[in-house]
Amino acid sequence: MKFLHLVVRNALRNRVRTVLTIGGSAFLMFVLVFVMTALTEIYAWEGQAAKKNRVAVQHSTGLANPLPISLEEYLKGPEIQAHAQHVQKLNWFGGTYQDPRNFFARFAVDHDQLRELWSEYTISDAEYRSLCAMKNACIVGKSLAKRYGFRVGKRIAIVGDIYPVDLDLEVVGLYTCADDVRLEEQLYFRWDYLDELTGGEKIVGTYWMKARTPDDVAKLKELIDGRTKNSSDPTETVTEKEFNAQFMSMMGNIIGIVMMVGGIVMVIMTLMTANTMAMSVRERVTEVAVLRTIGFTSGHIRFLIVAESVFVTLTGALLSLGLALLLFNVFKLSPAPQFFPYFFVAPPTIAISLGAALAAGVVSAAVPAELAAGRKIVDGLRQVV
Amino acid sequence: MADTVVRVQNVSKTYYRDAQPVPVLEDINLELEAGGFLALMGPSGSGKSTLLNLIAGIDRPSGGTLEVAGTPLAGLSERGLAAFRARHIGFIFQLYNLIPVLTAYENVELPLLLTPLGRADRRKHVMTALDVVGLTDRKDHYPRQLSGGQEQRVAIARAIVSDPTLLLADEPTGDLDKRSEEEVLILMKRLNREFRKSIVMVTHDPKAAAVAEKTVMLEKGSLVAKGA
Repeated sequence: MKFLHLVVRNALRNRVRTVLTIGGSAFLMFVLVFVMTALTEIYAWEGQAAKKNRVAVQHSTGLANPLPISLEEYLKGPEIQAHAQHVQKLNWFGGTYQDPRNFFARFAVDHDQLRELWSEYTISDAEYRSLCAMKNACIVGKSLAKRYGFRVGKRIAIVGDIYPVDLDLEVVGLYTCADDVRLEEQLYFRWDYLDELTGGEKIVGTYWMKARTPDDVAKLKELIDGRTKNSSDPTETVTEKEFNAQFMSMMGNIIGIVMMVGGIVMVIMTLMTANTMAMSVRERVTEVAVLRTIGFTSGHIRFLIVAESVFVTLTGALLSLGLALLLFNVFKLSPAPQFFPYFFVAPPTIAISLGAALAAGVVSAAVPAELAAGRKIVDGLRQVV
Repeated sequence: MADTVVRVQNVSKTYYRDAQPVPVLEDINLELEAGGFLALMGPSGSGKSTLLNLIAGIDRPSGGTLEVAGTPLAGLSERGLAAFRARHIGFIFQLYNLIPVLTAYENVELPLLLTPLGRADRRKHVMTALDVVGLTDRKDHYPRQLSGGQEQRVAIARAIVSDPTLLLADEPTGDLDKRSEEEVLILMKRLNREFRKSIVMVTHDPKAAAVAEKTVMLEKGSLVAKGA
């Protein structure tokens, strides 16, 4: 700490250069924070899975193909019920609410199993009774309701795209989810209402159920997929985590690109700071020699130069993190609300950013510090800068 | 009999320029007793500064031995030499070499940052050193806000603040006007007489050398004469 003033004064010796370097670092670090936050939000969906022992049954060829309604009877039969409960049909409806940019998940579900299967949701008994009583009823997450101004009694018209029907829904309740506020960004309506609109075609997107114990999952896979293996509609039974991971794998390239951007940002920041440090140290050859004459060791010199570099990169990181926290966590802004209703800078992102800034600072200063510390004192004293 | 602070025995130094050996010092023998004041004189290129650098432990001889403050320098590692300099050597440069981004106070404090002293103790030492050179009122000034003479006095304060065994001065008046030169020389004399500091001063100015107790002449890397 007693060298801090020396580090700071040296860093601010050429203010224009240092401010520009800090500004550059801050900008690049902001890009890194942005990219990492986007990745965090993408993975947040996957992270919530696997906590409730939920299992999904989908067509083995993919989600685009429906499953037969006849499978429901088997799933609700004794063989499966010995290992699972709360079987529910769940269809992704898609569609458009007013504007294609108003993106949020709309699911048609068996309302009678909703509370048991999605037990992390909280909804009042009165609201749940209304859902059961009215065929075109829907419930929405409190967070989604806030964003679009939905309230109990509000009519919501959704134009179909996957299904050639339009929904005329009425909000009967708002649910909350203490586990993760992101899960409050969905709308659930009744599967039998969708079926009625589609002329009773009994289209089932997926079946969901809750395994009685984690050990039952493997048995469920074996039983269900084994039974449908040689049918016209073979199934693939997956855990909720595996189900969500499918979407992650679809984004494989995007995630790769995002990570590459993060890497490029780090390299640019390191090179930029290294250039600044190299110039700064070159201007101080004699001063370094004087310090060593006074009794500073090569280690002291290395430390001072590395600390100066870290000061620059960490200041940039703190500025960018401050701005990001203000924009995303305080003002709750999102760069794309339809995809990222929440865009929170998470503690790991803050830690990684600070770590990256620290690493960039150390790496940037490594060569200049080594050159300065290794130069002979008499050569340094002789040099006229 | 007083202790010997500097003992230089058969010291030589050869530099290499494009693989060609350039002898700078040859067979130098010199001693300085504690509390002594020695002026090293000689024309440019005679090896005065090189000898001073060897005594300071910032350069190593090609041959011979150096013992300063009872420490044989040959056996010290780079780290050991740094610790030796911090403890025993106060160095005064011709061009002052203050750190421009630090105030006079902070410049003087620099050597003390290497000691275990706390902030309050460091402050006491710094203020004492600044008082000795008469610059307590300029402690918050940056080098650019000081005259050449004042800068050199701050540099002297920096050299004495850790109470080193030996003060080494390389042309301390070489870049000063007449008045500042006198001030600095009076100060050097006072440090020697009043504070009993052992001093080796390189100079080519006979007037500066006159404040020393003893003068030695170097020419072409060899000691040619010793004066009172």
